[in-house]
Amino acid sequence: MTGSRTIAGLVVSVACLLAGSAPIVAQPNSDAPPPARAAAPQVFQFALQNGMQVVVIPDHRAPVVTQMLWFKVGGVDDPPGISGLAHFFEHMMFRGTKSLPGDGFALTVSKNGGENNAFTSHDYTAFYEQIAKDRLPLMMRLEADRLANLDLSDDTVGPERDVVMEERRMRVENDPQSLMNEQMAAALHLSHPYGRPVVGWMDELRHIDKLSAQDFYDHHYAPNNAILVIAGDVTPTEVRDLAQTHYGKLRARTLQPRAEFAEPPRLAETRMTVTRPDARVPVFVRTYRVPSYAQARPGVAQALEVYGQVLGGDQTAALYRILVDQKKLATDAGASYDGDARDAGQFSVYAVPRPGVTLEALEKAVDQVMAGFVANEARASDLSRAKTDLVSATIYRRDSQMAMAMSYGRALMIGMTVDDVNAWPARIRAVHAAAVNRAAASLSRRNAVTGYLVPGK
Amino acid sequence: MRTFLAILAIAVCAAVPAMAADIRKLDLGKSAEVWLAEDHTVPIVSFNISMPAGSAYDPAGKAGLAAFTAAMLDEGADNLDSAAFHEALANKAIRFSAGTERDYLVISVSSLTENVPEAMRLLQLALTKPRFDAPAVARVRTQIIQSIQQAEAEPPRVASKAFTRIFFNGHPYGHPSTGDVDSISGITADDMRAFARTHWVRNGIKIAVAGDISAEQAQKLLGSTFQRVSNAAVKPLPAIGRLGAPGVHTIPMNVPQPSAVFGLPGIMRQDPDFIPGYVANYILGGGGFSSRLTQEIRVKRGLTYGISTSMSSYSKAAVMLGSVATRADAIRQTVQVVKDTMADFAKNGPTQQELDDAKTYLTGSFPLAFASNGGTAGQLGAFQRQNLDIGYVARRNALIDAVTLDDVKRVSAKLFDPARLTVVIAGTPAQAGARPRPAPPAAQPPAKPDAAKKP
Repeated sequence: MTGSRTIAGLVVSVACLLAGSAPIVAQPNSDAPPPARAAAPQVFQFALQNGMQVVVIPDHRAPVVTQMLWFKVGGVDDPPGISGLAHFFEHMMFRGTKSLPGDGFALTVSKNGGENNAFTSHDYTAFYEQIAKDRLPLMMRLEADRLANLDLSDDTVGPERDVVMEERRMRVENDPQSLMNEQMAAALHLSHPYGRPVVGWMDELRHIDKLSAQDFYDHHYAPNNAILVIAGDVTPTEVRDLAQTHYGKLRARTLQPRAEFAEPPRLAETRMTVTRPDARVPVFVRTYRVPSYAQARPGVAQALEVYGQVLGGDQTAALYRILVDQKKLATDAGASYDGDARDAGQFSVYAVPRPGVTLEALEKAVDQVMAGFVANEARASDLSRAKTDLVSATIYRRDSQMAMAMSYGRALMIGMTVDDVNAWPARIRAVHAAAVNRAAASLSRRNAVTGYLVPGK
Repeated sequence: MRTFLAILAIAVCAAVPAMAADIRKLDLGKSAEVWLAEDHTVPIVSFNISMPAGSAYDPAGKAGLAAFTAAMLDEGADNLDSAAFHEALANKAIRFSAGTERDYLVISVSSLTENVPEAMRLLQLALTKPRFDAPAVARVRTQIIQSIQQAEAEPPRVASKAFTRIFFNGHPYGHPSTGDVDSISGITADDMRAFARTHWVRNGIKIAVAGDISAEQAQKLLGSTFQRVSNAAVKPLPAIGRLGAPGVHTIPMNVPQPSAVFGLPGIMRQDPDFIPGYVANYILGGGGFSSRLTQEIRVKRGLTYGISTSMSSYSKAAVMLGSVATRADAIRQTVQVVKDTMADFAKNGPTQQELDDAKTYLTGSFPLAFASNGGTAGQLGAFQRQNLDIGYVARRNALIDAVTLDDVKRVSAKLFDPARLTVVIAGTPAQAGARPRPAPPAAQPPAKPDAAKKP
């Protein structure tokens, strides 16, 4: 129960507007299992005439509402040479409109008792507010205003670019594990923009200016590129009327089509050793390029999800049990599948050696554990526990408006449907030992990057 | 702009969270404080349990004992070794975590309704029959040591650790709650057994429960869970002397982004000035974009990604604490802007508009804390650890609304004295130089001032 499980933190390629609000890393899609009262939550969906999609998730426990406005634009849409523009632009959405200049947006939310923030990933950008339910009309008015009337100026672009550079220093340059993750992603994805950091390369952040920001706004921020998710103390009818009033009047725009990037075949494993004086503990990490939920044939992504859990989801999983508890080679070890992407997903394993154990020996031991899942089927009790964890997470999620809004929003952003989210628990339950076997066998070192983080000058 | 603001001028009604009406006290004996917020919407129950077993109770030379012992809470009990205990939790998807504050060990447990009895059975075993098996102790010890070693390279953690030591000079609040490599290396299983026996007690325990459980069920279940937990009293913590060592203390580190932690003696929670001080702090540095410090340092100057201050009150001391991180050639300037902004605030206080806005935020956002079972249990537990009574939940917004501009000015003048500020910088400040503005796209290769400036 120490903090060391987060040491390898793996790849969180999300950057957000304000410090202190780590992105919620929820299971992407899922829902509720058997107990009668835990039936699927009621989720309503409709579209406005201008193309904006709307999802409503009622929860009447408290007179509170969560609004999330998602845009199908993210780091992959950064123009060549200006990585970080999508994330920078997320920041600029808080820099004022003609009718509500300066920091009016955030200040208005605060003075109305609300919280707000935003985040950007490779595939999407989302803005959200949590507030008393009677403030929802005001929140919609504010969001609609900045979606149509943002007022960009050189006076705000300059300082905000400096803020983003500080964000990069904080999240990446001051953190050896993040630096290695960034290098590994760049190597894993070859030419696909998933290899570019969402927060941007420092030397390219310097190229951001008002023109590039304005161009980005004009071509990506439009009702027909957005999905509105409202969770909380509301009814679908009430949301439909309000959304029609505030967002319905916005005109659809011609969007810049999203590029279809190739994922060139990888012909060989990439290996790297990153030596840093600010790394005090060695770490082994390997990331595999694998199909995402959006790409995978039915059942394949779910099998990778279950494999990630049974291999390294918690202290009861194989990597921890064997490498940490039994062989005493590691102090921590884990694995996870991140299939929440429009293009390639990622499967990651990591381990932290005990003092005196080499990374080479540790890597070999990790490979043995993984080979065991190719050669043999997982134990029934382990498989069952892994599925229980994944499926139960979807019930826990129902305790939080934000977690519910996140899970549906994220799924829709990568091209999944509300039905996919609702069917996820059943699909996870349907994953059999043989499918986990196949998932384990599908991981090829040719499709992987192996990184050693080593303390040193 | 005018028409827009007219709409916004409507005051937020200072609603008391709906759940507050339903919060009731359960009886677990005189030495325990137990609150329940019952709600059956989602089949989940959350518990937030606080015991007088925080890091301030670490004996001399054994810094980190409380946290190390807490880290062993799910590492085996009774006939379950570490692996079996974790499997028992995972088989029922029970979420179990423990954190060590200065005064309290805080245990959070969440469970699906159907598994609550099993969750409480495992909690009881963990509290009353912990094993401290040698392999588990050795493993967790190494995990803690690695975590401490890595923290030594991270400016925010280096600054925070040094600030704590300097600010609480000599008091048990002053050592790092994680301990240090030497003290952790010397802690034995017997030390932990003794600590658990004397500090994992129900004398002074606080329990907040929220979610899908009736008062009758909760009363019965908690009664049997804690029946076997010792009711011995914990030896009180020593009184504290002078807080802080005004000035700037620098810990050199070659990093791209130094961190600064700064603080002042705060206001004790039971002091009537705490609420005005809390409101004042929100306006100066607690309120995200609306705070003076964020406006001056992030919005106007682009010097940081985040700056914030907070008001913390422990049982023996209170502190106003802030932190900021910026590039090496801007850290001195940033600390100066903090001091200047603070001095101006102490002298002139906020405007009436700032005070009004702070109140509508602080009162209007209060219900957000009660929108989930996990959130409700956590918020109630935090109130319990401040020794507030159950009626405080209903009273709280009225107390904030009653704060006047004179209150805030008076308390700010006393509280925010930059001359008393203790500042710790982790990182090596560099001379501020002419930093080239970004070149227009593609015009020329961008300069690399940061790489060039490293000493």
